[in-house]
Amino acid sequence: MGPIAVNRIYAALSALVLAFVVLPLVAIVWVSFFANKILSFPPTGYTLSWYARAWAQDAFRDGFITSVQTALCAVVISLALGVPASLALVRYRFPGRDAIQTLLLAPMIVPGIVGGAALFMAFIELEVLFDVEIAGTLPGLLVAHGLIALPWTVRLVTASLAGTNRSFEEAAASLGAGPLTVFFRVTLPLIKPALVAAALFSFVISFIDLEKSIFLVGPGRTTLQIALVSYLEWNLDSTVAAVAAVQILIIGALLLVSDRYARLARAF
Amino acid sequence: MSDVVLQSIVKRYETMLAVDNVSLNIRQGELVALLGPSGCGKTTILRMIAGFVPVSEGRITVGGRDLTRLPPAKRNMGFGFQNYALFPHMSVGENVAFGLEMRKLPKADIARKVKLALERVRLGHLAERLPKQLSGGQQQRVALARALVIEPDVLLLDEPLSNLDAQLRNDMKLEIREIQHSLGITTIFVTHDQDEALSVADRVVVMRAGRIEQQGTPDEVFAHPRSHFVAEFMGVTNLLQGRSEGAERFRLATGEVVAVPAASPAVGDFAIAVRPESVSLNAGDPLARNALFAQVDLATYRGLVIDYRLKTASGLIVIARRPSPAVGGPAPLAAGERVQMSWRPEAGVLVPL
Amino acid sequence: MVEQEYRELNEAAMTSSTATMPLPAPRAREVRRRSPAFGLAAPATLFVVLALLGPLALMFRYSLNRFVPGQMMVEALTLANYQKFFADSFYQDVLFTTLWVSGVSTILCLLAGFPVAYFLVRQASAKWKGRLLLLIILPLLMGNAVRTAAWMVILGDKGMFNAAIGTLGLAPMKLMYTPLAVIIGLVSVMLPFMIVTLQSVLEGIDENLESAAASLGAGHLTILKRVVLPLALPGLLAGTMLCFILSMNAYATPVLIGGPSFHMMAPTVYQQVAKAMNWPFGAALAFVLMAVTLVLTTAANMLVQRHYRRWSE
Repeated sequence: MGPIAVNRIYAALSALVLAFVVLPLVAIVWVSFFANKILSFPPTGYTLSWYARAWAQDAFRDGFITSVQTALCAVVISLALGVPASLALVRYRFPGRDAIQTLLLAPMIVPGIVGGAALFMAFIELEVLFDVEIAGTLPGLLVAHGLIALPWTVRLVTASLAGTNRSFEEAAASLGAGPLTVFFRVTLPLIKPALVAAALFSFVISFIDLEKSIFLVGPGRTTLQIALVSYLEWNLDSTVAAVAAVQILIIGALLLVSDRYARLARAF
Repeated sequence: MSDVVLQSIVKRYETMLAVDNVSLNIRQGELVALLGPSGCGKTTILRMIAGFVPVSEGRITVGGRDLTRLPPAKRNMGFGFQNYALFPHMSVGENVAFGLEMRKLPKADIARKVKLALERVRLGHLAERLPKQLSGGQQQRVALARALVIEPDVLLLDEPLSNLDAQLRNDMKLEIREIQHSLGITTIFVTHDQDEALSVADRVVVMRAGRIEQQGTPDEVFAHPRSHFVAEFMGVTNLLQGRSEGAERFRLATGEVVAVPAASPAVGDFAIAVRPESVSLNAGDPLARNALFAQVDLATYRGLVIDYRLKTASGLIVIARRPSPAVGGPAPLAAGERVQMSWRPEAGVLVPL
Repeated sequence: MVEQEYRELNEAAMTSSTATMPLPAPRAREVRRRSPAFGLAAPATLFVVLALLGPLALMFRYSLNRFVPGQMMVEALTLANYQKFFADSFYQDVLFTTLWVSGVSTILCLLAGFPVAYFLVRQASAKWKGRLLLLIILPLLMGNAVRTAAWMVILGDKGMFNAAIGTLGLAPMKLMYTPLAVIIGLVSVMLPFMIVTLQSVLEGIDENLESAAASLGAGHLTILKRVVLPLALPGLLAGTMLCFILSMNAYATPVLIGGPSFHMMAPTVYQQVAKAMNWPFGAALAFVLMAVTLVLTTAANMLVQRHYRRWSE
């Protein structure tokens, strides 16, 4: 077997696998344009009416709005907590540093369902203790979503900080800049690409979360993903395909922008 | 017989021509150095001979056998990598045994050959070690043993000395030469260091921008550079531009007329290449040929020698090199001092611009 | 004038400091800097402790409580919930299904992911590598709900796959609500993780090692077996464990593609906690799931480490 034959085999296998990964997305976008009343192949024609119908569904529209609100808040929480923590992890040596790093990445490792169930129980416990409503509310959802976005921010920002030469900061300090000035004038601009990527990534991670949210949504406050799953349990039609297509478009755009700032592959 | 013949080899990448129509005949047992700056195509040629890089055009034969389309595994060549490429997860012995295992030799033969190969590079006692437990020089010798144990038709070495420090490099140069001579194996080695090429090779092939610029014995290439590029690469710092007027007369761009060797080409624009060592200072004879008055512009102390940058009133700049007082040379000259510099006409070589 | 000199001095100092090796920061300064570090890391740490560790501890405590129908939960200190799991063959079947489906999916991911990773690292041009990686990662981030919906469209009784083989004159196949469908769905979730992990590990293997093996006479399969795979072992393990953990905890895929009679652990945890409101047992299930995953991955890790340690340290 010559090297060229070997190369061809790898190229062919890669093409197959790639097709397998991309096929579902192509299929669902395609289906969202079908004119058939009941989903079947091949299509009898094409229409855009499913998109209007999807928006008219309360569950999808409200779910979309809740998801966007939640995701935006998750971005704020994960950046506000994650950036200072990353700075501490990369720029300083202190006892317990490794433990804290592991802890901050833990939400990525603990299974979503397990973490979600635990949070759900804790919320109910708090509700009983303090007589407030948490589990079905936006703040409750935000805690969960901040938690799942945080490790990705820590990962992207620590990687970026570790990759920037510390002598820039030392140069600024030697020129008379105080710690805060150094941070805002030197460090922050240097890691700006990672911050943009972390923000977009946090948004996406929160927007598509299913496992943690499933415990924490309440009547009238459902995220888009939960709305999709509950719909899918009973129906499969082009309405849901239209919602999926819109989601693919939005997330795809966000990720492409984010990839310009920091290679997404490095976040994994 | 393992004559290596490259016939009009071309390597094209998407946007560039890495090797541009190179033909080369290497005789059985010859040690040839491919010499040139980085990016000149020398390593690409070596990798094409080994089969790591496909040839775009042309043919490669060894002992008459056409290898152009054969995969590396079928070429029976020993390759020494610049970074040695020792398998980090195998012991020294396992590294050396690898090629023999691929040839499906009986276990006992493999053990015997590995032992011999390691003893030849004086590492018989380190067979159980892992590569990373060895020094750079030892790793290089393991790599050499691994490449040679398969009894290759041709030994290919890619910058074999570049990762070693100065002292080791000298030892290794001798060792490569000794091994090559005792085995009589056809060897091609790639380097960017003219000193390495000159001291190790039977023949030096100077490359530039994918083409062969000049080839010949070390002395031919060193003493008679045929181009501005080769002269510069061989360490000639004085390349004085001007015009050859015939009858051994050469008019420098700054106006002076100097003598050049009788065999020089006739009329035309050239540069005279004069080594700084060939330029004498205050030789005493005011009527010496090629004698010019100049001022010391800058003196650079370099240990064994001192380099003087000399400037004439007309603006000609020449570098002269003299032994330093540390090795019994004359007292150093100070910047600003006026001197008479001169060189024998035979010391200058005319090269095309 | 003085300013000019000062700036030049500084520039000289800066260039010299960047030209040399980065200096280790002086010890004394680091000790003095300890306080800001704690201040910076504290909010995030506190948040994770309160929102993750605390609830997990609480849930573990609940797993030792007793469930009384109608009363929900009664304070107790009993292992009854764990005993129930190991006494009830239904739940053991659930765990067993989860294990074998995860195992098969993980192996498929490894087999499908390696050629792609190898292709990306050794054969694709830099420009294409970036594009292909993006193409592999994007579907992953479209969310489990969307991807699962797509697989339902493809695998349904009258779905795209059956329509396609129908045009070839083949009889439709029953795919939805089969373990096969779940495995297909899981593999498509996990493949990107596997590919990206393998890719980064292959990236670290010197291509010259493969060239060296080739020139010593090794064919491609021998090179894979003797050189690439041993060196990629840590990455293979990392990718494998990641995929295994992910599929052990998969929720949307088994629920929607596996159907009502196909049970895996994560959906069962959800069912017990949120639907049956049997918190103690749901909590116990969650911890059994985590413990099994942890034990298996740790065991695999130790097994591989033993082979790997000899030359990696």
